[in-house]
Order: sequence, then structure tokens, then C-alpha cells
Amino acid sequence: MKFLVEKLSKCAPRLGILKELHGQPNTTLQTPLVMLHTQGGQVPHITHEVMKLVSKNLHILQIPLVSVYNFKEAMDYFDGAISEFIGDGESICCLTLQDPSNLTQQGFHSKGKVPIWTKNGKVYYDSRTYMDTVQSFKPDMYHLLSDGDTNLSSPQKRLTKAVDNTISFHKECLEIHRNSKNLKNCLVIAPVAGGYSIPHRKNCLDNILLDDQEVGGYLIDGLHNNGPEVEFIPFVEIQPIVEFIIKNVPPSKLRAIQGCWNPLIIIKLVKLGVDVFDTSYCRVLTERSAAMTFPIDITEDITPYEINLRQLRYIDDFQPILNGCQCPACLKYSRGYIHHLLSVQELLGPILIMIHNIHHFLRFFEKIRDCVAKDTLDELESRMEIHFQRYQQEILLPQKEPVVNDNIY
Amino acid sequence: MTASIKPLNFTICAECKTSKARVGKMELPHGVVDTPVFMPVGTQGTLKGILPEQLEKLDLQIMLANTYHLGSKPGVDVLKKAGGLHKFMNWNKNLLTDSGGFQMVSLLKLAEITEAGVKFESLNEQKSEVMLTPEHSIEIQNAIGADIIMQLDDVVKTTNPDKERIEVSVHRTTRWLDRCLKAHNRQHDQSLFPIVQGTLYEDLREVSAKDLIQREVNGYAIGGLSGGESKDDFWKMVFLSAKLLPKNKPRYLMGVGFAIDLVVCCALGVDMFDCVFPTRTARFGCGLIRSGQLNLRSSKYKKDFKPIDEDCDCSTCQNYTRAYLHCIVTNIPVACHLLTIHNVSFQLRLMKDIRNSVSENTFPEFVADFMLKNYPKKDYPNWIKESLAKVNISLHQ
Ligand SMILES: [Zn+2]
Ligand SMILES: [Zn+2]
Repeated sequence: MKFLVEKLSKCAPRLGILKELHGQPNTTLQTPLVMLHTQGGQVPHITHEVMKLVSKNLHILQIPLVSVYNFKEAMDYFDGAISEFIGDGESICCLTLQDPSNLTQQGFHSKGKVPIWTKNGKVYYDSRTYMDTVQSFKPDMYHLLSDGDTNLSSPQKRLTKAVDNTISFHKECLEIHRNSKNLKNCLVIAPVAGGYSIPHRKNCLDNILLDDQEVGGYLIDGLHNNGPEVEFIPFVEIQPIVEFIIKNVPPSKLRAIQGCWNPLIIIKLVKLGVDVFDTSYCRVLTERSAAMTFPIDITEDITPYEINLRQLRYIDDFQPILNGCQCPACLKYSRGYIHHLLSVQELLGPILIMIHNIHHFLRFFEKIRDCVAKDTLDELESRMEIHFQRYQQEILLPQKEPVVNDNIY
Repeated sequence: MTASIKPLNFTICAECKTSKARVGKMELPHGVVDTPVFMPVGTQGTLKGILPEQLEKLDLQIMLANTYHLGSKPGVDVLKKAGGLHKFMNWNKNLLTDSGGFQMVSLLKLAEITEAGVKFESLNEQKSEVMLTPEHSIEIQNAIGADIIMQLDDVVKTTNPDKERIEVSVHRTTRWLDRCLKAHNRQHDQSLFPIVQGTLYEDLREVSAKDLIQREVNGYAIGGLSGGESKDDFWKMVFLSAKLLPKNKPRYLMGVGFAIDLVVCCALGVDMFDCVFPTRTARFGCGLIRSGQLNLRSSKYKKDFKPIDEDCDCSTCQNYTRAYLHCIVTNIPVACHLLTIHNVSFQLRLMKDIRNSVSENTFPEFVADFMLKNYPKKDYPNWIKESLAKVNISLHQ
């Protein structure tokens, strides 16, 4: 897998392509792109079969280890890569560590080890056990092991530990990668740790950039502990760190960020030159029964930022989630039906919302690429600014609309 | 106009020369249904996380929905505004609804059954009383708009030995049928089925069936079974009821869906079945196969890279291994969707194989082979041996 950018710019929006995917020269993906966030190898609520009804295009699946760590035993015996094991051999798989849609519990550090919080409790990984897993999963791309357990309020000591750990993991994992036949064509993403401290970020970069030749891209790690809170992190907080990292990594390399960032922040990050995001935001919305309805094209009607389908007003509303949307949920199902499904806690409710949210988010990224190409990202940003501000004001309103109650009988 | 436009036209296409099994075609307002048919249960207007377009791809021709649930949520008003359940849930094939009575008995505290109807105590805080009358049941079912609807019947548990009470229920069920027929205002596109009662008393079953077949209806249900009675009683009642019902109309055995029961009851002459079992068992991580079921939670599937069923062409068996399903089962909801797809597809394929073997006149061999797969040591339960012997099918010895 190779990454090519159009312009070797710093801190500016840019278009690029990922090519030679699966070793096939003609299969390419355009950046900025959004990876499909998965749990257990599937987009939450959506099987691969249903996902293909949403989009027939090739996608990168983001596979957080925390949700697939228990696959290792089978994968050791399985004759194939993780993409085949999870039932979507055509997809490109990117193995990552934590699940961006769930809050990662902090603490429980141990020297040379990182904890992940699985269904069955805490599991520690060191460079060797982590790379064992990577080698048996054979993903198309993966993150090196890192200590990203930092946020705005992390003390100096934690930052220093996080950077020291990340540097050792980086060296140890690359050493194993170098000697691995399984991972020869696998793209390595190196996480950059250090929270909100420029000196710590610098220290981390100084060390890991020595191996730049072996690395295909960099992950801006350690900004948050994942989960729904990321939606409301103000851009001004992260801006200096993101800028610093982007200025200091070689412009020919992929720049990735994880987490459920809202669409406005995503546009701002694209403007700084970030290339790769994920769809964890779609899951966060779906779990609160919200469907994205913000307009993407200037020609579209002004609609609310999102609608909450549990609200009683949708009980006999037979319109689609979003008029004009071409997703399988909007083409055939109504708000009223989805409201009913949610009110009786049927599995199909979140499925339909997720179908729409993923479709809408993919369309949003198409629009971003289009705007980068036409140099109109500022316009998209100012329109999104209005929608998002209105939404933030709405959620601060004290009186909430009635929603269905869960008790049926 | 002649009476040619009926909401149900049943044609028998083939009959087993040995047993009572038959293959038929039921033409309904939303397409043809090949019988014998298994109908999965989509209680609240949806089938366990499966999109209706996926069900159509599985070639599902009819599914069941529950009147009591839909009557409470979304309720008659919303269903009417939506133009019926087919439109509401985007399902363009056939639907069948129950009367709601059975669901209420199992979900609510039964207060009293009177001639007027069934009275329940609601489980909500107000402990308000809810009354389901035959007229009300039909009103809800008319609003739902299923292609086949059921009469409200007076259900008595099969384990209740009180013959006097059962006799009352038989006669009341007939009276309620007449009230249902009178209240039914969509005769042109919904077929109302009576339900044969009488629990385990042959004479009462006979009375019930004889009363009901005098009414002008398009098909019949066999009720009051699979409620905890012994298999020996069960098959005898199925056999008797099927025998009492007219040959030219479909016979629907309510609440039966285990593969073995389906095979036996097809041999006894039943045409339609429904059961929550295949979809419910999927939720607990079970995948159905011809010789029983796989509990995918079991660690023995850890390194098993075969599909659930190598002969199955469902998307789950095409794309996923037992080892993968073992890894995700009970962890993520998607695992339940994948197993449901397989289990529904399993039931449909079983029914198709039954139909094909009847058409090709190899049904007795099919049954014998099927039972051998389930009882490789040939230790067949008595009720299977007896019931099949009754319709001249002998098992591999
Ligand atoms: Zn949509
Ligand atoms: Zn299958």
C-alpha cells in the first residue's frame, strides 16, 4: 500500500490517494477519507451485507483491537487475513488499539505495557504480544503500539511516561515488523504521543522520526480518552498541537486522527492537512437515537443539525429521516416507523438510523474532497459553523421535548 | 362479477401417495405462498434486526405479526394513518396476524373470561383493566391489514383437565367466530381463519371442527396445542384435527416450528406453521442445522472454520465461519442478525425440501433420512414412530 499526495503542503487542506491496495495497482482510495469504525469486525448494528447496500465503494475498516482481541486464538490457525476472518475479504483493514466510540478508562499503567478494557476486563499488551497479534491478523495497515492515555488535564509526569512508553513501543514494534514476512506490504502508522504539551510532543517526534523511512503515516494520538465527549472538544484546544505535529512530520506521509469529532472540527482538521478520520461519530449519534440531518450541499433545504427519533412528534410522521436522501433507510422507511422501533426497543431501529448516519457521513466526506479540489472548503466551514452553533444552543435549552418511554405495559 | 376474486385461493399441486402430506399454492393479496410453509414471527412489525429487503431476498413469502403488541404500539390510529402494516414496515409480501388473545394471556395477568371477551389486568402502575372482545380484535386486525387474520378464541391450557371448562371454550370459540365474521369489514382482502379448539379431548375437537367448517371461510387453524402437552397427545390431536378439516382449504398449526415437529406435522397433513423459536434461539447464539442445532457459544467452535451449515446458501454461511461467529456471539448485536438470517433461511429451505420431496413423490424417504440424521443411533422417540406409522411412513431400522 502506498500513499501519494497531490501537494507537499503543510497545514493546508490536501488531496491524496492510497494506492496499490491489496497489491492491486488499480485499486485506490482518495483522501481525506473516513475509515469505517467497527466493533468485532462489523460496523456497529450493520452487517457487511447491509453495509454493501449503503455503499458499494471500497472502504477501510478501522478494527480496534479492544473489540477483537479475542480473535487471536482463532487467527493463529486461520489461513487468511483478518479481513477474510471477519467476512469481508474485499475490505482494507486497519488495526488500531482503542475503540474511539467508547470512553477508555484511564490509569492502570504498568511499565512497558498498555491496558485495554475488553468485555472480559483489563488485558495488558506489550510490544511483543501486540505484534504477535498484528502478525497473526495480517491487516493491510496498523497503528504501532502507543500510550495515548493523556488529555487536557494530564499532569507532566503522565505526559513524560506516555511519551517514553510510546517511543519504546515504537522502536520495539518496528524491530519486530522489520523481521516479519507477514507484514511486508503492511502500512505502518506511527502514533505521536504527548498530550497538550509541545515539549513532550517534540521529544516524541524527535525520537520516532528517526525511523521515518519505515513509516507510512502518523497518528495524532493522546488528545483525548475517546468516547462521546470528543464531540465537544473545542478546536482552539487541539489546534496548536495538531499544527505542531503536522509541521514536523514529513508532508509525504499520511496524517491520521481518531475519535468522534463533529463535522465542523473535521473540516477544520482537514484545513490543517489531516487525511484520515473514522466513523465513530455515527455510532455515538445512533446510540442516542439521533440521525444526522445537517445539509451538505448549498442547494439542500435548511434542516436541523440532527433529529432525535425518540421524540414523540415523530410518532405519525411518515416522511423519511431526511427528504431527498438516497440511503436505503430514507428510500423505504419513515421517521414514524423508526420511532416505533425505538419505542419497542427493536434491533431494526438503530440499524436504520446507523444506515442513514453512515451514508450521510460518507457523503459529507465526498463533499469535503470536492471542496478541497475546488478550493471552497471555507464556504463549507462557515455553513457548518452556523448549523453546529444552532445545534449547540438547542441542546443547552432547559426544556426537553417529550420522548417515548420505555415501559410498554 | 362472479365470486372469483377471493383474498385466498388454495390449490393443491401434489399429494404424497403414502402419507397425508401435500403441496399447495396459496394465492394471497401480496403474492403466492407455497405450502407447506413456515412463517417466522415479526412480533412488532419487524423481524429481529433483518431488513425486509433481506427477507425478500431469502424468498420469504409470508410472516406473522402480533396483534396485541401492534395494537398497543404503534396503535390502531398510527397504523391507519400509515395505511396498514405492510406500508408502515415496508413489507410487500404477505402478513398474518394472530387474534391477540394468546399474547395477552402470556403477557398480562388474566382477570376473567366472560362471554363478552377476555379481561386482563394491565401490568402498568394503574392496574387498569383491559378488555379484548372478538369485535375489538378484528378492528385492530383490520387496521393492521394482514392478508390472513385470526378469530379471537377462548384458549384453555392443554394441561387443564377440566372437561366442562373445555366444552364451554369450544362452543364459545364458535360463537366468537360468528361475532368476528360479523365485525370483519375487509372480507375482500383479508381471510379470517377460525381456530379448532378442544385441547386433548377427541370428542370436543370433533364438535369444534364440525361447527367451524359450516362457516364460510378460506382456511382453518388448529389451536390449543404446543402448550406443554405430551408429544403423544400432541400428534394425535394434530392428526385428528387435520382429518376433520376440509381437504381443499389450508390448515394452519399454530406455534409449531421445531424441525422434527414440522416434518411430522407435514406428514399429518398440515400446511402452515409459525414459531418464534428460530429467531429467538438465534439471539442466544444457536444456529440450526438438519441434525439439531449448534450452540456457537461453545468453545468447541473456536477453531472451526466451516460455515454453520455447508449446504446452506444464506449470506451468513457464504461469508462467515463458526469460529468467527463464536468470537462475536453475545458480544455484538450483529451476531444475532447473522444467526437470524441463517435460521430463517434454514427453516425456509427445510420447507422447500419437504415440498420438493412431496412433489417428486419421495417424501417418505425424505422423512426417514431426516429422522436418521437426528437419531443416528435409530433410537427414535415413540411418538415419532407412532405418528409416522399412522400415515404409513416407516423409519430406517
Ligand atoms: Zn438517509
Ligand atoms: Zn446459512
